[in-house]
Amino acid sequence: MQGDDMYLLTVVAEAILEEMLIDEVRAMGAAGYTVTDARGWGRHGKRRGNWRAGGNIKLEVVASSELCERIAARFKEQYESDYGLLMFTVPVALKN
Amino acid sequence: MAFDPVVLFFLLGAIAGLAKSDLKIPMAIYEALSIYLLLAIGLMGGVKLAESELLPLLLPGLAVLAVGSLIPLIAFPVLYLLGRMPRADSASIAAHYGSVSVVTFSVAVAFLASRGLDYEGHMVVFLVLLEMPALVIGILLARMGSRGPTRWGKTLHEVIFGKSIFLLAGGLVIGFIAGPDHIEPLEPMFFDLFKGVLALFLLEMGLVASSRIADVRQYGLFLIVFAIVMPIVSAILGILLGWGLGMSLGGTLLLATLYASASYIAAPAAMRIAVPKANPALSIGASLGVTFPFNIFLGVPLYFWMAQTLYSLGG
Repeated sequence: MQGDDMYLLTVVAEAILEEMLIDEVRAMGAAGYTVTDARGWGRHGKRRGNWRAGGNIKLEVVASSELCERIAARFKEQYESDYGLLMFTVPVALKN
Repeated sequence: MAFDPVVLFFLLGAIAGLAKSDLKIPMAIYEALSIYLLLAIGLMGGVKLAESELLPLLLPGLAVLAVGSLIPLIAFPVLYLLGRMPRADSASIAAHYGSVSVVTFSVAVAFLASRGLDYEGHMVVFLVLLEMPALVIGILLARMGSRGPTRWGKTLHEVIFGKSIFLLAGGLVIGFIAGPDHIEPLEPMFFDLFKGVLALFLLEMGLVASSRIADVRQYGLFLIVFAIVMPIVSAILGILLGWGLGMSLGGTLLLATLYASASYIAAPAAMRIAVPKANPALSIGASLGVTFPFNIFLGVPLYFWMAQTLYSLGG
C-alpha cells in the first residue's frame, strides 16, 4: 500500500453505527480499517463510553484521496442527517 | 416503608454522580455484571420452568403478549395527541415503555425473595417475549406517514442477537435442560450471589441515571408526569391480567413490573437504528431518569400492595 498521496480518514460516529460503517468501508474497497472506542462531547450531547448504544467510536481508514472522498460522501449522505458524525482527512506518509 | 437494601445502592450511585464523585465502574466490569444478571435471571426461570407443564402456558402466554402489545398503542396517542410530541419521538418513547427492563424485573425478583414469595418460572419466558413486540409496533407507528426505508434487518438482528435477549434466552434453555437437580453446582455462583451483583449493577445504574436526572428539566412536565403515570396504568393492566389468569401473587407482581418497566438498553439501540429521527435523550431520559427510579423505589412496593389488596378482596 506504500505510495504517494495517501490520506487518513478519521470518522467519529455513534457506536451503534459501527457494523454498518464497517460494511460500507469494506464494500467500497478499503484495504483495512481501525476502530477504537471513544468518548466526548459535541452537538449531539455528551457521548459516554459506558453505554452500549450511547458511546462513540473512532473509525480510521488509510486510503487514496479518491477513496477517502467517496467514503466520506457516502457516510454524509447516509448518516449525517440523523446521527452524530464527524469526519476529516489528513495526508499521511506510510512507513511500511 | 423499608426499602430493600439493593435499591439503596442505586441511590448511592446517583448521589455520587450528582456530586461529581470520581467513582466510575469500569466498562469491562459493567459488561461482566450485565452478562451475569442476564444469565442468572434466565437460569432461575429455566429451572423453575423445568418443573412446570408447558402446554397450559400457551393461552396465558398469548394473553400476556396481547395485553403487552396494547401498552405502546396506549402510550403513542397520549404522547402524540395529548403531549403534542413529534411522531418519531412519540413512537420511540411508546416502544421504550412497551418493552421491558431486566434490571427492574430483577429488583422485583429480589423483592419477592426477601419476602419468601415464589413465582412462576415462565415469567422469564414472558420477559424474553415481551421485549420485542413493542419495538416492532413502535417502528410501525413511526413509519406511518414517513418516507424512506427502515433498516429492518439490522434492527431485528440487534434485538434478537443483542446480548440481552440472547443471554436471557440462552440461560433459560440451559436452566430448563439442567433442571433443579443438575443446576446445583452452579447455584452458589448464579443464585446465591445474585443480590450482591444486582447491588453493584444498581450502583452503576445510579451513576448513569444521575447524568440523565440532570437533564430532566428540559423534557418538560408532560413527559415527567407521563413517565410516572404510564407505568402505573401498565401495572394495573398486569395485575388484572395476572389475577384473571389465576397466577400466584408473586407472578402477578412480576407481570405488573414487566408491563410497568421501560426498556433502556435494547429499545434505545433498536430505535436508534430504526427510527433515527427520534431524539434518544427524550426516551432514555424518561425511562432511565424517571421511570426506572420510580419503579424500584415506589412502583414495585405499590404494585405489590395493589396486587395484595386485589387478591385479598377477590380471593
